[in-house]
Amino acid sequence: MLPALFLSISLGYPLVSVLQRSFADIQSIDLSPQLGIAASAALQAFISMTGALLIGIPIAGVLATYRFRGRAFVQAIVTVPFVLPTVVIALAFRELLGTTLNSGLVLVVIAHIYINLAVVVRIVGATWQQLDQRMVIAARSLGASSIRAFITVTLPQLKAAVSSAASIVFVFCFTSLGVVLVLGNSSTRTLETQILRETSLLLDFPTAAITAVLQLIVVTIALVLGARASMNSTSKIRTMRFSRLPRPHGLRTHIYVITVALTAIILVTLPLISLVSGSLRDTNGWTLEWWQSLTDLEAGTTRLGSPIMAIATSLKYAFFTGVIAGVIGVLAAMSVLSHRLGRAVLIIALAPLGISAATLGLGFMLSFGRAPFDLRGTDLLVPLAHSIVAVPLVIAVVLPTLRASDRRVAIVASALGARPSRAFFTAYGPVLRVVAIAAAGLAACVSLGEFGAASFLARSSSPTVPVQIVKLLQRPGEQSFGVACALSVILVIGTLALVASIDSLGAKRWKRS
Amino acid sequence: MFSSVIKKIAVLGASSSLALLAACGSSQEQAGPVTVTLLTHDSFVVSEALVAQLKKETGITLKITTAGDAGAMVAGAVLAAGSPSADVMFGVDNTLLAKAANADVFSAYTSKNLDSVIPALQTDTGNGVVTPIDYGDVCVNIDDAWFVQHHVPIPTTIEQLTSPMYKDLLVVEDPATSSPGLAFMLATKAKFGDKWTNYWKKLEANGVQISGSWTDAYESAFSASGGTRPLVVSYATSPPAEIVYAQNPKPTKPSTSVLTDGCYRQIEFAGVLRGTQNEVAAQQVVDWLLSAPVQADVPLSMFVFPARVNTPLPTVFTNFAATVEHPEQLSATDVDANLRTWLNQWGQVMGR
Repeated sequence: MLPALFLSISLGYPLVSVLQRSFADIQSIDLSPQLGIAASAALQAFISMTGALLIGIPIAGVLATYRFRGRAFVQAIVTVPFVLPTVVIALAFRELLGTTLNSGLVLVVIAHIYINLAVVVRIVGATWQQLDQRMVIAARSLGASSIRAFITVTLPQLKAAVSSAASIVFVFCFTSLGVVLVLGNSSTRTLETQILRETSLLLDFPTAAITAVLQLIVVTIALVLGARASMNSTSKIRTMRFSRLPRPHGLRTHIYVITVALTAIILVTLPLISLVSGSLRDTNGWTLEWWQSLTDLEAGTTRLGSPIMAIATSLKYAFFTGVIAGVIGVLAAMSVLSHRLGRAVLIIALAPLGISAATLGLGFMLSFGRAPFDLRGTDLLVPLAHSIVAVPLVIAVVLPTLRASDRRVAIVASALGARPSRAFFTAYGPVLRVVAIAAAGLAACVSLGEFGAASFLARSSSPTVPVQIVKLLQRPGEQSFGVACALSVILVIGTLALVASIDSLGAKRWKRS
Repeated sequence: MFSSVIKKIAVLGASSSLALLAACGSSQEQAGPVTVTLLTHDSFVVSEALVAQLKKETGITLKITTAGDAGAMVAGAVLAAGSPSADVMFGVDNTLLAKAANADVFSAYTSKNLDSVIPALQTDTGNGVVTPIDYGDVCVNIDDAWFVQHHVPIPTTIEQLTSPMYKDLLVVEDPATSSPGLAFMLATKAKFGDKWTNYWKKLEANGVQISGSWTDAYESAFSASGGTRPLVVSYATSPPAEIVYAQNPKPTKPSTSVLTDGCYRQIEFAGVLRGTQNEVAAQQVVDWLLSAPVQADVPLSMFVFPARVNTPLPTVFTNFAATVEHPEQLSATDVDANLRTWLNQWGQVMGR
């Protein structure tokens, strides 16, 4: 009930208000350009998705099956690109690649793969971690090669997680805005860039609304396909809860683990190095000046607010988002599992992924920016918007894991007289605790890096870190660039710390249960 | 037809109530302790001391809310026309003014001090609903050092940018996604009239680079920021901004300059939002934005020029900001009627 209420208020109400206003004066609209853009965006999203899966799955596998030094670090650093504001990522890629790669499809796909690696690693990893490795060992001892064992034993059990990750990555790339604006060209336009153009440049709301509906239709189709694939593969999973991960053994395994882990670290950190050097350099060479000016950017006459305050604001919003999205997402996942209309609930709960950010932003301003629901000036507005983005991710992490748990425990518990809730927690409780914390952490990370909604909704006196970074990058001068780089580095470190501590929390609970 | 009648009645009603207020004289000056919400874009900055002074003198507490960039802000205001989330809006520019005015976003009021505005800026008030507050020019910026180093003469007109001498040297922003990019496109339309697409064909043939955003063009592609292209579409005030935001000790002069031909003038307006509960106080805030102290604060806060005549400029402005004698301009109604067509034409020429 609660998730439904949450979604209808925080999502339904703003959307209805904006669409109602938009369709008020509708006339005939030529949709053919939009259909063409939808087709090319779908192709782009498919390429990006395939790339993210091909690189992400081996990383997820190594992290899920082996214990090695630096494992927590690898797991945390893979999440970082997902959290950085797209403008910063685009800037980092520009610094790294210079002008060797022109704007266009290749650059957009690379950036999309980079950003969405975390989605694949997190979602697939969450399930993979719980698989009973003895099955693989058995297959190997019966003479199967490691690749064969993966294909016949592991992959079928991962099908649910992989298809859920794939559909989410596809949707993210299909609806991408920031990356496309900065790194794309005409061949990479998405419906979202068109919606933005219609709303905030041409102020043609009917065309914007129809484009937004078209986008939602495509996204819903993608999610239905993903949900179907994921629903059809429930019963084959065997889990083992009480084991510690083994260390890699044998030379080949060692080489494999080291190669994958190092590749992951290099892939992720390479673009970030330019940010670090940007925060430590000026025209004359190395300097600490940008880091020192973090505490008082008030210098001169331009008051952007203290970057330190921005960090505090971001952390506060991230915490609220973690709590809201964690609770709502877990409840939604539970109802998907236990409800008759599970698949429908799932698709509705994932739908926010496909709703145009520009439309939703306007809807939020219309709905919660004035009476009767004036949330401006409260600390709730931004976390609420962030939660809409984060809930689908929470579901995507929690659901495959819950599904992997042994349902018979709940049936037995009920048969022994436990109330339904008690039976549910007996069966799913131990897994739920771990995975819910991890998912809430992911939601907090989404909030840390989110820019679009925050720029619409945050109070100008208290910007979040990404908003502050983008503001700095929008003015000339060395100081702006240097401090923006320093803030980006802080965002990276903050994310690393948050993710690592959540992972270790999860690991502790794991051992105790 | 019907709506235009209603609009007229509304305007009449508003102006007659204005006359009443004016008749009351001093009561208009003291709106009492109220809170006025100022809706603005995310580039708006004003000194806190001035906000405090406003409260001290009029009892008005100013609450500032931002709503994304200027486009997003106007879009939100248009959708909420008549029942606004704020009392005053600042930051609608001459590109979007006609859209906002036609959507009946504002109630009829121009500042009582409108005659203190530079005459050239007084002409467009959206039929008496907004007051010009500041203006700025979008111009091609030049990395002087690059031209000295490569022994290439610095260009003086934007026509020259199509000559082989300047091949692969210019980066501009996509007008569909960037506000300076749009302004530069409009400048070429204003300057070259019906032949403006020919100019872009020549630019394209001469290797112009298109960036998605100002940040990408200026911070990455521009050679003064470490890129490879010494010509970039930016603002006439970017050189002084380079000084203000430089490290200490500040350089004595900027390394960039401005090509003062083919510049597009952007004017930013403020207006009272129709449906406000604080009509009088909202009008006072519009007057305050045009008052001498706020106008003097505008240059270093937002890197634009004050609309009020004889406002003293900071030395970094008088020394390094370019003065554009003949900026390009298009009427707000012309832009409103043709923007989609022009963007499509630009897209066809540039293959985007």
